[in-house]
Amino acid sequence: MSVTSPVSTTAVRATGIWKVFNEGQSNEVTALQDIDLTVEAGEFISLIGPSGCGKSTLLRVIADLTHPTKGVAEVAGMSAADARQQQKYGMAFQQAALFDWRTVRRNVELPLELQGWSKSSRAARAMELLEMVQLADFANHRPWELSGGMQQRVAIARSLAVDPPLLLMDEPFGALDEMTRERMQNELLRIRQETGKSVIFVTHSIPEAVYLSDRVVVMSPRPGRITDIIDVNLGSRDEDTREAEAFFAAVTAVREALRGRTSGSAARARVGEV
Amino acid sequence: MNGRLRAVWPPVIIALIFLSAWQLLVVVQDIKPFLLPSPSLILGNFFGDLSLMFNAAIYTGTTAILGLMFGTALGLVLALIAQRFGVVNKLITPLAAGLATVPIIALTPILNNMFSITSRTPKVLITMIIVFFPVFVNVTRGLIQIQPVQLELMRSMNARPMTVLRQLRVPNAIPFFFTALKIAAPLSVIAALVSEYFGGPQQGLGSRIASSAANTAYGRAWAYVVASIITGLIFYLIVLAVERWAAPWTGRARSA
Repeated sequence: MSVTSPVSTTAVRATGIWKVFNEGQSNEVTALQDIDLTVEAGEFISLIGPSGCGKSTLLRVIADLTHPTKGVAEVAGMSAADARQQQKYGMAFQQAALFDWRTVRRNVELPLELQGWSKSSRAARAMELLEMVQLADFANHRPWELSGGMQQRVAIARSLAVDPPLLLMDEPFGALDEMTRERMQNELLRIRQETGKSVIFVTHSIPEAVYLSDRVVVMSPRPGRITDIIDVNLGSRDEDTREAEAFFAAVTAVREALRGRTSGSAARARVGEV
Repeated sequence: MNGRLRAVWPPVIIALIFLSAWQLLVVVQDIKPFLLPSPSLILGNFFGDLSLMFNAAIYTGTTAILGLMFGTALGLVLALIAQRFGVVNKLITPLAAGLATVPIIALTPILNNMFSITSRTPKVLITMIIVFFPVFVNVTRGLIQIQPVQLELMRSMNARPMTVLRQLRVPNAIPFFFTALKIAAPLSVIAALVSEYFGGPQQGLGSRIASSAANTAYGRAWAYVVASIITGLIFYLIVLAVERWAAPWTGRARSA
């Protein structure tokens, strides 16, 4: 399953990450406080927590979109900056962020174009990806002609374009309705199954985090920190999973962790009981 | 097609009713042409002297196009500089705003003295100043006002600043550019025309309107006004057509 470099089976390693905004000023905010997080290759991790807990900031530090005040983020065994420059991750955001002046296919081609791929090879690759997200028929449409869920699938296809070992997703389904959202979750799990990517997924939906993830990282605000990491062992997911006892138990465990009621070990024990 | 016809007919009918009422008013009330000439007199003059109308429109239109081109070029170059250097933006924008508040009328006689009054140069310069401002302001905004998520996306894909400019900022600014042109193009005709009121060659629309009115040829003066309106309209429609061709995504609901 692993497609990462043979040197390392660790997809992401964050060590002692601090992020302080407006340092030394009266409006100083500690967005991240001493974060340690390791993501193994092929693992699906969700970051969950209330607004302002720093989950998006942590994702941006890993993506090298912002620099940590202290600490080191490594992706695919190299610094986050090198990983970004070598396109070791693909990223998807809450907004699809498609370019209206490009067709759907050419939106997917964008990262390949920036990498200097030839016209024919990037068109072929884009079609392959659009088939994967089941939008091949819409290749020549404009983004605004697509529904929100379809736009987000295009964005996911784009994030997979350079075949990076890691996907960073910042609430990609946050703006979608519940039905579309569940369909997209299944789609994402299928794509991940087919490609073997590691995924870090930011969300504030507990069922979403539980349904998708191998581990749910629970964060709390002011200062942003990891309060708990909950293992989810649901095996392979399908629609029945959403109604399974084990699923509800995991949801409860995450919810209680978010409330700060139960320690991590206790939560894990409860999940294990079922 | 049906829908299109439905969109075209109402204004046409309203225009016909308006012109008929105007004609009726002038005839029934026996209004003198120096107060208000009838539509039939104006149109008679217009079609009677069609080649004069055409030549005047070509002269003024040429001034307008030259001013539009130079003003647009200046606006685009300064917008690119303003986007690249925030300091320059802060310096240029108040200056540009100051320039925009300069009344063209105050400037024309001065420019006529600075450059040869018999040449086209002062008129082109005035048109250029008028055109520059909306282009500069709108395009600068289009280059700067990018969705933050799109900038983050470009960074996540390791795009260099030049690539961000070419692939994101410039296409993003294109609808803003056309908005500016839709304002600037008819404005350039007005600027070119008004600048003719202050002397110089006599073949333009502005000079013709002034001299016809001075010679009590009111029907002809109004006919030149009609020619001016048509010229401005043609400028506007050309911009509209180019926009549709060059930026088909403009005016659509933006995707998130």
